[in-house]
Amino acid sequence: MDASTAVAAERSDSSTVVSGRDLVREYSRGSSGLFGGDSSPSVRAVDGVSIDIGAGEIVGIAGPSGSGKSTLLHLLAGLDVPTGGTVTLAGENIADYGERGRARLRLEHVGIVFQRFHLLPALSARANVALPLVELGNSKSQRRERATELLEAVGLGDRITHRPGQLSGGEQQRVAIARSLATEPDLVVADEPTGELDSETSARVLEALTSVADDRAVVLASHDEQALEVCDRRIPLRDGKRVSPRRATRADGDRPDATQADGTGATGHRSDGNRADGTHGRTD
Amino acid sequence: MRRLRRLGGLVGVGVRRVAGRVRTSPIRLSLSTVGVALAVGLMVSVAGLSLGLASESVVASEDTDYWIVPEQSNVQSLAVSTGSVKLSRVHDASARIGADSRVDYALPVLLELVPIEDAVTGERTYIFVAGVVARPDAELLGLPLDPLAKGDPHYANGSYNGTWTGEAVLNDAAATSINASTGTTLDSRRLANRSFSVVNVSAGATSTALGTVPVAVVHLSELQAVTGSATGDQADQILVHTNDRSVKASLEGLYPRTTVVTRSGLGAQQVSTSNLPLALAVSSAATAVLVGVLFVATVMGLAVSDDRASLGALAAVGLSRRSRSVVVAVETVTVALMGGVLGLLLGVFGILGINAGGQEVFGLGTVARFDPRLVALAVAVALVIGVLGAVYPVLLSRRTNPLEVLSR
Repeated sequence: MDASTAVAAERSDSSTVVSGRDLVREYSRGSSGLFGGDSSPSVRAVDGVSIDIGAGEIVGIAGPSGSGKSTLLHLLAGLDVPTGGTVTLAGENIADYGERGRARLRLEHVGIVFQRFHLLPALSARANVALPLVELGNSKSQRRERATELLEAVGLGDRITHRPGQLSGGEQQRVAIARSLATEPDLVVADEPTGELDSETSARVLEALTSVADDRAVVLASHDEQALEVCDRRIPLRDGKRVSPRRATRADGDRPDATQADGTGATGHRSDGNRADGTHGRTD
Repeated sequence: MRRLRRLGGLVGVGVRRVAGRVRTSPIRLSLSTVGVALAVGLMVSVAGLSLGLASESVVASEDTDYWIVPEQSNVQSLAVSTGSVKLSRVHDASARIGADSRVDYALPVLLELVPIEDAVTGERTYIFVAGVVARPDAELLGLPLDPLAKGDPHYANGSYNGTWTGEAVLNDAAATSINASTGTTLDSRRLANRSFSVVNVSAGATSTALGTVPVAVVHLSELQAVTGSATGDQADQILVHTNDRSVKASLEGLYPRTTVVTRSGLGAQQVSTSNLPLALAVSSAATAVLVGVLFVATVMGLAVSDDRASLGALAAVGLSRRSRSVVVAVETVTVALMGGVLGLLLGVFGILGINAGGQEVFGLGTVARFDPRLVALAVAVALVIGVLGAVYPVLLSRRTNPLEVLSR
C-alpha cells in the first residue's frame, strides 16, 4: 500500500467502498512531436477530484456534457486508471492491477449500467443477466436461478426469455440493472442510466435501481434532474473539477444545496431515509 | 471444475451469439458459412475424385478380404510395374497361407503392362496382364479363372520347367483392341520366344476414370518367366480370401515391411499409397483451408469490428480478455463448422455430379467415390479453418478498448 492509499484509508470511514484521492485523468490530443518529444497538447478530463463513497449510499455526479462525469465514473469503476491520484476499490489500489486484474476487480466488486444498455442482442434477458456469472464459473443452474431472481426483482419476471430487441428501452435498462447486480457487487455505477428514456420510463428505471441496490454503494452520473433526485448527495463537476454549489447553480442549473467545495465528501447512508420516499437526498 | 464451467459457459455464449446472428445479420452469417461450405465442398469433391482414381487402379475382388502389399509399393506402380518393390517366394508363401484352416485360399498376383500386337493390323496395344495361380472358383479383375488349367503347371516347384500352357483369358476390351478371339495367338516382342493363346474371352470389365481397361489373365509362373520375375519367385501382392479376422495378425508376420490391407482400410491405403490421387487430395485440402481461412477471417473480422460495443460491454462487466477471445474464437469455429456441414452436403452433390457428368459426356462409370471418412475429413478441415480463421478476429477483439466503444 503506497502513501496516498494509506492516507485515503485513514480518511475514509470503515464502510467506504470506493474512494478517490486527487484524481487526475489527462488525455493527450493528437500525436507526439516529430522527434518523439512530448509536445502534444493534453486535456484534463478530471482534475484533482477527491471522493469517498460508502456502503448504502447513492451519490450523484452532476454536471453538463464534457464536465468529466463519465471519466470520473470510469475511474471509480476501475474501467480506467488515473494519470494522477489514487482510486481505492474494495481496499485495493486499482493502479496496482493490470487490465486482467482490474477486470477481475470489476467482476467481483463493481456492477455497471450504461446509458445505451449494451446488452448482447443475441442473448435472452436471463442470459444477459447471467453473463458475469459465466466468468465466475458458476454452474448453469446457479446462473439461471440468480438471473431469474434478479429479473423478478426489477419487475421483469415475465420477460426472462425475451431478447433485447423484444424489450422496450426501459425494460432493457432494467435488465442492465439486474446484470449489474448479478455478482452481488459492493459498488454499482450508472452512467446516464435514464439518458435514452422518457420521464415516465426513467422513473420506473430509477425505482428499480434504488429498490434493488440494498446496502450497496451506488454512483450515478447524470445531468438529468429527475435521476439526481434519488441521490443521497451530489457532486457537481465542471471542467473536470468539483465546484461549489453556487457556481454549479449558476453554470449548470444544479440545485443550490448540491455540493461542497472541499473535495472529500462525507459518507451519507440510506438510513437517512430521505430517498426511498422520493424526497431529495442530502448534500455534501 | 470452475474453469471447465466457465469454459462451457463461454462456449454457450459464443454459440448463442452465432445463433442470434441468424436473425440479426443473416447475410453476413450466410457469407461466412457459404464461403467455408464452398471451400469444403470443393475439397470433398476432389477428395472423392482422388479416391475414385485410386480405387480404380488396384486389383479388387469381391472374394478378397486382405491384400498383402509391400510398404514401398504404390497403386500406380502396381498398375505399370515400373521398378516397384515386389514380394518374393510368393508360391511358397501363398501355399503356407492357404494351408491355414481359417483361409479359403490365397492368390499371388503379378501385374505387368505388356505391348501386344494387333492380330490384323500389327499395331501395338498395351494390355494389362495379370499372372495368377489359377483356381476354378476364383475371379481376378472381373475375369473367371476356370478357363485356365488349375494351379500353375509351369512353376513345377520352383524349377520353371513344368508344362507351358500359354493360356490367356481376355476381357472384351482387350479382345477388341487387338482384334483377338478364342484361339488367337498373342504376339509380342516382350513375350520372348514364348507363345500365349486366347482360351477364353469374357465380358468381365475393369474400368478406370479413363474407360474400360484391356486386361488379360495368365498363369503366374508363365508371366514371371517372360518378364524376368521368375528369379526369386516375385509378385506384386497376395490376395487372401477368408472369413476369419484373426488371420490378419498371421499375415502381418509373413513378410517384413509389408502392409496388410483390409477391405475397409482399402480406401485409405489406396489414397495414401498413390502419388497422384494423394497429391490431389492434399492440395484440395490445403486450398480449402486457405480459402476458408481467408473468407472466415475477413468476414468474422468485419463482424468483430461492427460488434465492438458488445465486446466492450463484456469487458466492462468483468470478462477477461482471454474470456472475450474464447467467445470470439468459438463464434468463428462455430461458423466454420456450420460451413463444413453444408460443404459436406455440397461435396456429396459434387461427387454425384461428377459421376453423372462423366457418364453423360464420356460414358465413364464411377469416377468419384464417397467414403464415410470424407465426413471426418470435412469436419476436421472445417475445424482447422475455424481455428486458423479465428486468429485475426481474436486479435481484433483484443484491441478493442471498452472505454472507447462504451463512451459512444
